[in-house]
Amino acid sequence: MRPKELLMLLKSLRAMTYFRRFLILFICGITQIFFAVYLLLELFGFNLGFHLTNHGYMFIPGILIFASSGLLTVSYYFGDTKTNNSLYDEYTAMRYYKLGAVGYALNGIGIFLLFSFQDWSNWSLQSANAMIYQIASFAWLIFGILLVWFSLGDYKEYKNG
Amino acid sequence: MAKGLTQQALSDSAEVSRKSINAIENGIYVPSTVLALKIAETLECSVEDIFKLPE
Repeated sequence: MRPKELLMLLKSLRAMTYFRRFLILFICGITQIFFAVYLLLELFGFNLGFHLTNHGYMFIPGILIFASSGLLTVSYYFGDTKTNNSLYDEYTAMRYYKLGAVGYALNGIGIFLLFSFQDWSNWSLQSANAMIYQIASFAWLIFGILLVWFSLGDYKEYKNG
Repeated sequence: MAKGLTQQALSDSAEVSRKSINAIENGIYVPSTVLALKIAETLECSVEDIFKLPE
């Protein structure tokens, strides 16, 4: 790749719009929901009829989140100021904080419930391990749902704007 | 909208999203001091003319 082409690519990456942000967050959220639901159903013994044999697949949501965070950060610091005034304004920040607070509350309730229905009389290292996975996948699910929720706000803005 | 401005025009001038202006107009969101001052400046009035404490 020539330096000029690389520069063009970087310029296009830093240009964020409501639609692009919607796509990025929606894909991240849906992927997270898929893997979290899969893990939760597996942990609770539901027969899904399929099984992810390659554990490397579990890295997909994480890699997506890393890449997306990178893109959003680049667009925030190096993107067009006029677009960013609208994309990253105080009302958007408030929506983000509110959803974050909902996420923490739901995770708190979820962790309480997950703790409550463990079989403490037959407690073992295996049960502890399973509970950690349950908590992690539940939190994963909640934040995936919130990512989709947030992205839908961006989609509405893209449609109305 | 006072002064015949659209929400989009006001949001461009105040450097925020149209959604913010919409939320402020509908009383869903209370703006920061800086944003309130920017809106007042755009509308060529004082902050007290457009924002009041609830009675």
